[in-house]
Amino acid sequence: MPRVLTIEDDTVTAREIVAELTRRGLSVDWADNGRAGFERARDGAYDAITLDRMLPELDGLALVTRLRESGVQTPVLMISALSDVDERVRGLRAGGDDYLTKPFSPDEMAARVEVLLRRHGQAARETTLRVADLELDLIGRVARRGGVELELLPTEFRLLEFLVRQSGQVLTRTMIFEAVWGYHFDPGTNVIEVHIGRLRRKIDPPGSAALIRTVRGSGYLLEAD
Amino acid sequence: MKLTDLWRSSSSRLLLVYGGLFALWCAALVGVIQWNTTRYLSNVVDIKLDNITGYFRTIDRSRLPEAMAVTQSLDLRDVISYGLFDGAGRLLEGNLARIPPDLPLDEKVHLLRDGVQRVQGHHPRRARAIAVHLTSGELLVLARDTSVVDAVGAIIQRAALWGLPLIVLPGLVGALLLSRQPLRRVRHIETAVQPIMRGDLRQRLPVSPRRDELDLLAGIVNTMLAEIERLMGEVKGVCDNIAHDLRTPLTRLRAQLHALQHETPPADARHALIERTIADADALLDRFRALLRISELEDMHRRAGFDQVDLIATLKHVGEIYAPLAEDRQISFSLETPAAVPGVRGDPHLVFEALSNLVDNAIKFTPPQGKVRVRTTLEAQGPRIDVIDNGPGIRACDRGAVVQRFYRGATAQAEAGQGLGLAIVAAIVRLHSFRLEIGECAGGGAKVSLLCWAAVD
Repeated sequence: MPRVLTIEDDTVTAREIVAELTRRGLSVDWADNGRAGFERARDGAYDAITLDRMLPELDGLALVTRLRESGVQTPVLMISALSDVDERVRGLRAGGDDYLTKPFSPDEMAARVEVLLRRHGQAARETTLRVADLELDLIGRVARRGGVELELLPTEFRLLEFLVRQSGQVLTRTMIFEAVWGYHFDPGTNVIEVHIGRLRRKIDPPGSAALIRTVRGSGYLLEAD
Repeated sequence: MKLTDLWRSSSSRLLLVYGGLFALWCAALVGVIQWNTTRYLSNVVDIKLDNITGYFRTIDRSRLPEAMAVTQSLDLRDVISYGLFDGAGRLLEGNLARIPPDLPLDEKVHLLRDGVQRVQGHHPRRARAIAVHLTSGELLVLARDTSVVDAVGAIIQRAALWGLPLIVLPGLVGALLLSRQPLRRVRHIETAVQPIMRGDLRQRLPVSPRRDELDLLAGIVNTMLAEIERLMGEVKGVCDNIAHDLRTPLTRLRAQLHALQHETPPADARHALIERTIADADALLDRFRALLRISELEDMHRRAGFDQVDLIATLKHVGEIYAPLAEDRQISFSLETPAAVPGVRGDPHLVFEALSNLVDNAIKFTPPQGKVRVRTTLEAQGPRIDVIDNGPGIRACDRGAVVQRFYRGATAQAEAGQGLGLAIVAAIVRLHSFRLEIGECAGGGAKVSLLCWAAVD
């Protein structure tokens, strides 16, 4: 069972994070201040950490910097009330792996933690990705379904690559927008839906099983049946 | 500084009015002097005429012609005319051709406007004259030219004519010079007001150490601005606090609903109800997020962190993301950009967010088979991006208000939305000192323009 450490000083928020991650089958430990959090993160073998940006005793940014300095490579999801782009860049530069702004929905938070857990376990370099009969050649930038080459635009390929890399994992529209287009704001429901819709029409030939599922209220999921 | 501006200034006007009054007063003064001088000189003439007639009356009739000849010989300037007439008005002695017709025969001196005619004279001469009846029954008429009085009057009039321009001209020049300084200061104030009008309420009007009326006025305006800034801050603070304080319980509510949904089997009718409630909570959270985003943008003063923004690349990116959305709604989407656009200073992410919002709005309000055009043109001040659609447009009365938080125009009521998109755009525009124009295109649809003009500091 993957182990997650939640470093959060606000009891209510911490309880929500712990409850949501536990529901998804993860084992969660909680530290309510920066110093304790740092010690547990350094000593315990965790698979992922959720880290509040503003903490008593040891600030979130300093904490992640010190973790990386002491050689701990556990993926870190930084959670902050500051949504400024500069702030995000600072958090990621310090060694954070992903950044989430408060208030967040538990789905979004959990989805991001799951992506981090998966990334942690993934091999460093792959040249081909496969889900069911869908195959992505990352070097040639070509996708095939059942051996038939799909005509995808570069953006569509990037979107598909992101979905395939995180297959089996619910991805929120903000996560998709960030990963595929690189912008950090909520583009609204329609835009992502339309792009997913077009991708679906291209990758699901008539008669074949639909690969991308819509998870109502949460986001999208690509998985083999 | 234009001459017309100088003339329009209040000090110029004041000086002109004052100059006019001064000229009038001078004219009145000169008039009084002239009138008094003329009266005095006429009096002198009258006394002289009285004296001579008195003298003529005392001497014997037989010696009168001789006395008159002596008087004439003494009149070196040849200003006295005289005549002795019989009862029928015939000239007996003297150099007057006839009794002046307009002279009353009342033994008093009168001014003869038509003058007197000498025997050998070509023209009548303006004169003061007196007619006296002698005991012999004859009429003695004595006249003295008013040439001296007239000459003095003419000198005074000439002096006044020369004097007036000498008063008025320095006045005009003075007015121009005096009004320049205050006008220059008004221009400074005008420049200082520009950022305030764009929404930067931290700016104040310049106040000089002179403490004159302009400074007094600037001081009053500054006090007013401070008060407006304080009130705006309070309103914004209340707004932010509500958003901030409500979002935590809302997040918790959503989490609890989420947990409840997990515990309810999908077949249960309550499952769908919970899902709808979660969607409502999400919509509320989205609103709060957008509100806080606006206030965060308004608090941002990180111009120093600005970078060059490649507008063409940004627009292409917007097109790439939104064209499929337009196509899905059967709306034709076109991007018209010139070959090269100079880079503008700004935050690339925020410029993208503003343009996305504008395009998203245009697509949202355009009916199927409609058109959305994003046209970039270069103007002298900088690039201009017009987002034009052929939807219902934004009514003229709504145009100022649509950028306010939560305001939704009459035409927007039917569409889903929070009324925060344009408010976010407006906040980004303010942060960049760009301009946002909301208008109408030829076909009646909306035309929202982002003017990426360099900030005027």
